[in-house]
Amino acid sequence: MSLLTVRGLTVAFRAINHDVPVVAGLDFDLPRSGALGIVGESGSGKSMTSLAIMGLLPAGATRTGSIVFDGTELTALPERRMRAIRGDRIAMIFQDPLSSLNPYYTVGTQIAEAYRAHRSGVSRKTARKVAIEAMERVHIRDAARRVDDYPHQFSGGMRQRVMIAMALSTEPELIIADEPTTALDVTVQAQILELLAEVRRDTGAALILITHDLAVVSEVADHLLVMRRGEVVESGTAAQVFSDPRHAYTRALLDAVPRIDDTIGELRST
Amino acid sequence: MTSLLSARDLVKEFPVAGTQGLFTPAKRFTAVNRVSFDLQAGETLALVGESGSGKSTTARLAARLIDVTSGTVHLDGTDITALHGDALREVRRQIQVVFQDPFSSLNPRHTVERIVTAPLRYQKREIPGGTRAVAQQLLERVGLDPAHVGRYPSQFSGGQAQRIGIARALAVRPRVLVCDEAVSALDVSVQAQIINLLRDLQREEGFGCLFIAHDLAVVRQIATSVAVMTDGTIVETGDRDSVFGEPRHEYTKRLLAAVPRINPEWEAARRRNAAARSSEEAPA
Repeated sequence: MSLLTVRGLTVAFRAINHDVPVVAGLDFDLPRSGALGIVGESGSGKSMTSLAIMGLLPAGATRTGSIVFDGTELTALPERRMRAIRGDRIAMIFQDPLSSLNPYYTVGTQIAEAYRAHRSGVSRKTARKVAIEAMERVHIRDAARRVDDYPHQFSGGMRQRVMIAMALSTEPELIIADEPTTALDVTVQAQILELLAEVRRDTGAALILITHDLAVVSEVADHLLVMRRGEVVESGTAAQVFSDPRHAYTRALLDAVPRIDDTIGELRST
Repeated sequence: MTSLLSARDLVKEFPVAGTQGLFTPAKRFTAVNRVSFDLQAGETLALVGESGSGKSTTARLAARLIDVTSGTVHLDGTDITALHGDALREVRRQIQVVFQDPFSSLNPRHTVERIVTAPLRYQKREIPGGTRAVAQQLLERVGLDPAHVGRYPSQFSGGQAQRIGIARALAVRPRVLVCDEAVSALDVSVQAQIINLLRDLQREEGFGCLFIAHDLAVVRQIATSVAVMTDGTIVETGDRDSVFGEPRHEYTKRLLAAVPRINPEWEAARRRNAAARSSEEAPA
């Protein structure tokens, strides 16, 4: 059985007298420990898809269709029970770690509180230990000391490691990462991608990676959805989509990617 | 041979906020440290580096948007480092800048006609045929519909807005075009269009281009020569294919190795499949 089964997922925004769909009838399956890449350009609906799964859509957006996570229909779940899954069994990593961290609290406090929110009865002391362990797992050096530092005392890449540590503390079965390396320098990006791969090897967590970067997704995902204007134009294994793209849009997108090892004369554009 | 744009030993220091005491001067941070480069007409020199490498500060120094702490910039053999008044105004005509975020560099309350002809007004130029005709020509040059001169920036997409920024830069026929992450915020298909446009315009106009970017794959497509920056200094410089093909400096090697790549086997298969498809589609 799949870990996550999505059928006919539609997200729409209410306009004055009609609905504007931003995700239209999405279907996909994600097996346990699988890595699914959702790629598309701006406005393709890829981020709305992840927010819809997490039940975090902005006000004014409606969600229809079915999202079944490990046998539970998420769309029918009351918010109280969704909160118990979100951040515990399904964790999320966003593009900008600084805006996801509270500047007034130490990173240790924030990791520990996120953990305690899902593990009632856990003492502060135990939670602090979990936080240090999680920071060690994402290779933050000197974690026992840095646990008392504030977000601004970390570099961008280190902050993203803190976010990943927070996501990992509850040992989630699914990690949804929305452009997790887009704001990072290329050498730091390589480290974070390596870290995500290592975490998946060690914990067996499934991953949904949302990105505009085809080279990044090719290094991480084993299955792909290519989205455009709210619809999936192509899906398949990464090998299929990259070596034999069926849809004209996917071909055009791949043609437009600048290659580091190659000069391709005139870049073709859609 | 005199270079079009020549920078020698550029240094830029900034005071560090909060370090100034009552009787002690603020500590100083060196953002750019003894940077030298030459740019020839018709060429594109890419300054690449990660955040904090000093690449944008170097570009700003070269364009005289900020003043150097020490060092010199020569445009066509003339030292422009200390110019002011009308002479500086003329330098600013000859060196135009295109920025990363197209919308924040376009006044939302001005029409496109007013935006793209603004440098002409700033230069107090006579405009033969009036601004409307000039604006229409400029829009056509960058691939936009000349009928849209009366529109406002919000009525354009990101890629179109960047074309407007380029049209404005071209209005005064600059000798040097500085592109500061000019394609970084754009979707990949739009990015490809803007890179092609810049190449075409450079072929036609012959300006030298100082191209600031963090994306090495983009740089590979557009640069003739490359200078790699880190911690305020250039660690490696050379023509494009030698820097990418045989990097000498450790940092350059590390940088190139970190760039994500599509699996080369998939790439080869895709090219084969595309070739097979086009020969099928071609009439026998």
